[in-house]
Amino acid sequence: MSTGEQTLTASAVTKVRPRKAATRRQKRERLVAAGFLAPFMLLLLIFQYVPLLVMARNSFYDYSLLNPAAEKFVGLRNFADMIEYEDAATSFGITFLFALGVVLFVIPVAFALALFLNSKLPARGLVRTMIMLPVVTSSVVVATMWSFLLDPSNGLINGALDAVGLARQPFLTSTGQALAALVAMTLWQQVGFGAILFLAGLQGVPAELSEAARIDGATRRQVLWNITIPLLSRTTLFVVVIMTVFSLQAFAPAFLMTQGGPQESTNLIVYHIYNTAFIMQQAGYASALSVVLLLVVLAISMIQMALLRSRWNY
Amino acid sequence: MKVYHIVFAGLLGATALSATAVQAQDKPACTGESVTLRILRTPGNFPYPKPMEAWQKDNPCVQFEINEVPFAQLADTISVQAASSNPPDVIVYDGPNTQSYAASGILLPITKYLPKGWDDDVLPATKAEHSYNGEVYSPGIEQTTVAMYYNKKLVEAAGIKPPQTLAEAWTWPQALEAFKKCQQGPAGAATVWGLGPTRFGNGQPGLVYQDLPYQRSAGDPKADPSSSAFKTYWALSPDSKSVEGYLDTPEAVEALKFYQSLFNSEGVAPKAGIPNAFFDGKACFYIDTPAAGNALIKDPKIEWGTTPIPYFKTPVVHTGSTTFGATARSKHPEIAAKFVVDMSWGEYAYMNVSQRGNLPTLKSLFPRFAVYNQYPMKVFVDQLQSWGQPRPPGPKFAQYDKIVSEALRGVAFGGDPASLMADAEKKVQRVLDR
Repeated sequence: MSTGEQTLTASAVTKVRPRKAATRRQKRERLVAAGFLAPFMLLLLIFQYVPLLVMARNSFYDYSLLNPAAEKFVGLRNFADMIEYEDAATSFGITFLFALGVVLFVIPVAFALALFLNSKLPARGLVRTMIMLPVVTSSVVVATMWSFLLDPSNGLINGALDAVGLARQPFLTSTGQALAALVAMTLWQQVGFGAILFLAGLQGVPAELSEAARIDGATRRQVLWNITIPLLSRTTLFVVVIMTVFSLQAFAPAFLMTQGGPQESTNLIVYHIYNTAFIMQQAGYASALSVVLLLVVLAISMIQMALLRSRWNY
Repeated sequence: MKVYHIVFAGLLGATALSATAVQAQDKPACTGESVTLRILRTPGNFPYPKPMEAWQKDNPCVQFEINEVPFAQLADTISVQAASSNPPDVIVYDGPNTQSYAASGILLPITKYLPKGWDDDVLPATKAEHSYNGEVYSPGIEQTTVAMYYNKKLVEAAGIKPPQTLAEAWTWPQALEAFKKCQQGPAGAATVWGLGPTRFGNGQPGLVYQDLPYQRSAGDPKADPSSSAFKTYWALSPDSKSVEGYLDTPEAVEALKFYQSLFNSEGVAPKAGIPNAFFDGKACFYIDTPAAGNALIKDPKIEWGTTPIPYFKTPVVHTGSTTFGATARSKHPEIAAKFVVDMSWGEYAYMNVSQRGNLPTLKSLFPRFAVYNQYPMKVFVDQLQSWGQPRPPGPKFAQYDKIVSEALRGVAFGGDPASLMADAEKKVQRVLDR
């Protein structure tokens, strides 16, 4: 009998075998599990999925929050407006640039910090505390603090530039520098989170692999490049996806530091959605923007998962 | 038990009984159905406790439930709560939004509840701002406008004598010379600024309330209605339906180039907020409402004076303040409307206005505020009566305010005035057409 025939026979046997009835204990365990899951699932349903459905429905209507009863069905007009007017494309473009900046800077800096924290160098505990402090500090506090630091006239950073003879910079009031300033602030705030995730990944890498490579004559750089980084691909994927989603959802920096300006140069999409709904009173259009943002975030996450899929297990 | 114990107990009992009697006399018992009015307001805003307590004596069946939100979140909160199944009965809101809230059906028309003589007594600017389609939606309580404060010590040290009457008011180029003369430290990074930052919002320039008059003052309200001078002054068509050709006129662009120079080439005003800059002696001049003057009268941290707002061609200042109204979907519309109207009339209005120190909306109350009959606070009253204009009114004011403020801020930060205002026109028009 060939292997193929054996497999076929085995699967046929599996198919005809009657399903074993669950024992009383299994039933009780399933019930307990359902009981524990139910409150969370209920909250998830009420506060996540139902609003998503309502949002999707609202994206086909034109209405204001001040008078929702006067809503009008407009079909795909809100989506057509996104193409006809520049605001959506501009805001999405700025948000992608912001996310790209955050991911490109956070990943290497967080990884370098994690390598340092994973070593036996002195002051690791102090550095760990220092990099985690911004993560646990409120975004409002961080944004306010950075607004003072980046003040074009009296900010600490401009004071330092002035002291070393460099020209003062406009930072948040310049169309060319404001977004970069927000990326720098986000890097400072989020790098600790990335570093802790990378550190957890590093501590899970089997030491014997690098030891074997070192015995075989590999340099530290070769070990890092050929063993550590490939084995950290799952962690890297996680950090990239998390940082991308965080960046695409960023609201506080635009709201508190720049109000989307100057000249919309920091008009991040979530802030734009907030403005569209609450200030411009175009809640239907804001819903349509939210639907597109949801689809974009899903698509980007799926692409990242496909591109950074892990090829090694340990 | 000793005799003095009995006397002492008797005295205590008598005091307690008399106190109860006084309380009962102060707060008449409610004989009808008890009603609770839900009020949404900002902290430190009217209606104030004293007039409310006085009003409750006449209306013992009415109780109040007050919810407060910071001014920055007020419009958002109203957006959400007004559409809910249980909206507040009375809302305090930013005055220029009256037409927007009236058009959306949030506010209850109160024309029929207004007392006799209200029409003649109220300031015309207040009535215009709070009316929509022939109905009055808010009686208004207080009115504000801005003037330019100055630090006497700094200004006198620089040899400057600011004008004290409207007839002698500076033009903007004259004011700029004064800013430059008084400023200390390098342009753009001064230790004492020529013109201090606003206390509104986050302290950045660009607010319609304070900064749109730069370009409006370059226009002329008496010019031909099709002329750019006329459109520059009004900044929105008379029917509130068009803004095209009203914001990017040659006169407006020229005025905005001057406005931009204050923050850039001349460097006499900061681009970011500095908390309490004027009150801490870090600014020679400063633009604010009468509330700042009244605070300085109570706590004179510095020696100060006021001077009228400078202009290019036609002097103009914006009016408007927070106000309040009864909601159309209130469960007690009659009582809510009565409360709102009562609070803004007669003695209750006086009690409310005197609490914060802004200007009253009733002409009959002006003589009772002696402070406004003499310099420096008289400048506000004179400006209000001679130069005051509401911010471009219409049911889409909130959107206009947001878009134009962003454009003005862009100009202050160095953007091209012509293209920024043309872009703002397009955006506002999209909202008006929708």
